[in-house]
Amino acid sequence: MLKSRFFAVLAAIVLVLPGFSGASPAVKLNTTADHGKFKELQRQFNSGPEVTKACLGCHTEAAMQVHRTKHWTWEVINPVNQQRLGKKNVINNYCTSTASNLGACATCHVGYGWVNSSFDFSSQENVDCLVCHDSTGTYKKMPGGGQPPIKDTENPPGSGKFVKAIDLTKVAQKVGKTSRDTCGACHFFGGGGDGVKHGDMDSSLAAPDKEVDVHMDATGLDFSCATCHKAPAHEVVGSRYAATGKDTGDAHMRGQQSKSNPATCQSCHGQSPHKAGSHAAKLNHHSDKVACQTCHIPEFARGGVPTKMHWDWSTAGKLSPEGKPILKKDDKGHIVYDSRKGDFVVAENVKPEYAWFNGEVTYTLLGDTVDKANGVTLINALGGNASDGRSLIWPMKVMRGSQPYDPENKTLVKPHLAGNDDTAYWKNFNWEKAIETGMKAANAPFSGKVDFVKTEMYWPITHMVAPKEKALDCESCHAKGGRLDQVKGIYIPGRDGNPLVNTLGWLAAGGVLCGVSLHGLIRFLRRKQ
Amino acid sequence: MEKSHIFATVITTGLLCVSTLASAYDADWKRGRVYYRSVCTACHAAQAGGSIAPSTMSKSQWGTYLQADKHAKGKDSMKQYVSKAYRASIKSQNKAAEKFADVPEDELFEDIKAFVIKGAKDGDSPASCS
Repeated sequence: MLKSRFFAVLAAIVLVLPGFSGASPAVKLNTTADHGKFKELQRQFNSGPEVTKACLGCHTEAAMQVHRTKHWTWEVINPVNQQRLGKKNVINNYCTSTASNLGACATCHVGYGWVNSSFDFSSQENVDCLVCHDSTGTYKKMPGGGQPPIKDTENPPGSGKFVKAIDLTKVAQKVGKTSRDTCGACHFFGGGGDGVKHGDMDSSLAAPDKEVDVHMDATGLDFSCATCHKAPAHEVVGSRYAATGKDTGDAHMRGQQSKSNPATCQSCHGQSPHKAGSHAAKLNHHSDKVACQTCHIPEFARGGVPTKMHWDWSTAGKLSPEGKPILKKDDKGHIVYDSRKGDFVVAENVKPEYAWFNGEVTYTLLGDTVDKANGVTLINALGGNASDGRSLIWPMKVMRGSQPYDPENKTLVKPHLAGNDDTAYWKNFNWEKAIETGMKAANAPFSGKVDFVKTEMYWPITHMVAPKEKALDCESCHAKGGRLDQVKGIYIPGRDGNPLVNTLGWLAAGGVLCGVSLHGLIRFLRRKQ
Repeated sequence: MEKSHIFATVITTGLLCVSTLASAYDADWKRGRVYYRSVCTACHAAQAGGSIAPSTMSKSQWGTYLQADKHAKGKDSMKQYVSKAYRASIKSQNKAAEKFADVPEDELFEDIKAFVIKGAKDGDSPASCS
C-alpha cells in the first residue's frame, strides 16, 4: 500500500514540477495582458460591435482616437494644396473610386456597417478593433456591410462558395499588436487582389525572407509595419498622401521628441548611412540627390506575386457567344482579361521608373477638367525637380491605363461597379447606367456620354528593400541608357557629356601623357650628362 | 488497500491536471509558418521533389499525420526535424533554424501544427507554400 502511494505521489511531483519551475513558465512574454483571462471577453459575441463594446470597457479612449484617423474618415486634407484626398475622394486607375461601391470597398474600413452616407461616423461601437488587432489570422469581414460572418455564409450569394464563420470570442481573447498580417489584410490586397496596387506590397511580405525585404525578413529583423509607421493615438504616420520627399533630419533618438516622419530611411539611418567600404563617402554624397530607395530597391514585385502595370477599362464588357463573362489567363495563371474589368498587364520583378519628387502630390479629382486631346491625364501629378532643393530622385511604379470619363463635362467619373442591383457594371455591363448611379452617389453631374481617357498614376516605391549586395551598382546609372536615363536637370557622369568638352579633356589628358613621356625620355637619354 | 489506491489516484490525477494547466502552451502559428516555410519547404523543394502546401491536406489528415510522427513514409520521425539537434546541425545554412535554435521542441512542434491546421484546405486560411 505504502509502495503504491509513494510511487503515485512521486510521479505526480515529477510531472507537476516543470509547470511551476522557472524552466518552462506558462507566462506570456510578449504582452502584459492575457485577454483570454478577462471575464468581459469570456462570452459569446454575435457581432463585431459587441466585441468593440467589450474592448471599450477598458480601452476607453481608443474608439475616439480612431475616429480622428484617416483609417476611419477615409479623408485627408493635403497640407500643401488643401486638396481633399483619402479613399473617400480620390479617383484612381484601378477600381476607380469608392463612392457607390462601399459595400465592397468598405470591407477594408476600420468600422462596421459603412455601406452608404447614413453611416454613423460618431459611433464608438462601429469601430472595428479586431481588423487591426487580430492575431489568429482568421478574422475577416463580408462585403455588403463589413461585418464578420458569425455563421457559414455563402459569398457571393448563389455562388456555392462559403465563408466560414468566425469565432469572435477566440479572436477577441487573442488580440495583440498590429502585424504585417493585419495591415496586409487590406494593404497587400489594394486594387482588388494580391499585389495589384502598390507593387512593393503584397502577401509575400507577410513572412518574407531577406531577399524580399531586409527589414521585414521573418528570420531576421522581422519588422512589423508599425516598426516604421508609428501610430501614436492610433494615427498611423507615413502616408503617401503627404509623403516626405526629402528627409534632411537626423536619425531619431530614444527620448528625443521628433516631429519628422519616422517612416523615412533617414529617421533610422541618418544622413550618412554608408559606413564601410572605399566608396562610403561617395555614396553618402549621393544622398542629397538620390533617395535611398532608388539604389536599394532595384526591382519591385520581387516576392513571386505580380502587380498590375496596365489596366484598360475600355475593353471591358466583352461576353462569350453564350452571353457569359469571359476570363482569360496567361501561361502563369494570372488573369489578363476579365469582362468585368477589361485588359490587364501584370508583371513581376519590375524595374522602377525614376522621377524627381519632393513629397507634393496634386490629384485630378472629381470635377477637375480632363481633356482627352491633352493626351495622358495624370491621376496624381508629382511635385519636384532638380533645382528646388527639396527633391530627390525616387523610384516609381507608374500605373498606366484607360478609364471612363465624361467627354461632355470633361471630368473623370465614379462608376458604380460592385453590387447586386441592376445598375452595377459588374452585373449588367452597361457603362451609362453604372456611371449615372455612381455620379449620383457622388453628387456630381453626368452628361450621359461615356468615353475613355488614358491615365497615369505614380506610386513611390519604398518597401521591398533588397540586401545591400543587391543594391544598384554605379554603372546602373552612370552609363548611357542606364536607370536614370530619363531624369532631367542633373549632370550624371557616364550618362551625360558634351562632345567638345570630352574632346578637349582627352586632348588635355593626351598632352599630359605625351609631356610626361617626352620628359622621361629626355631624362633617360641625358642620364649620363 | 483499495482506499489507499483511490487516494493515490485522486492525488495523481489532480496534480496532473494542475501540471497540464500550468504548462499549457498557446501555439504561435506565425512562428510555425516561418519554420515550415524556411526549413520544411526549403528542404522539400531542394531535395524531396517539391514542397507540400498546408492546403494539400485537410485538418484531420494533418492531425493524423502529425500524430503518427512518421516522416518520409515512416523512414524517420517528423519530430526529428524539429529537434534542437537538427536545428543546430543546419543553423549555419538556415536562418530560421538559427533564429529558433533555443525554442523548446514541443513548442515549435505545436507552432508548426497550428500553422498547418490553420492553413489546411478546410482550415481557417488555406495556405500555399510561399
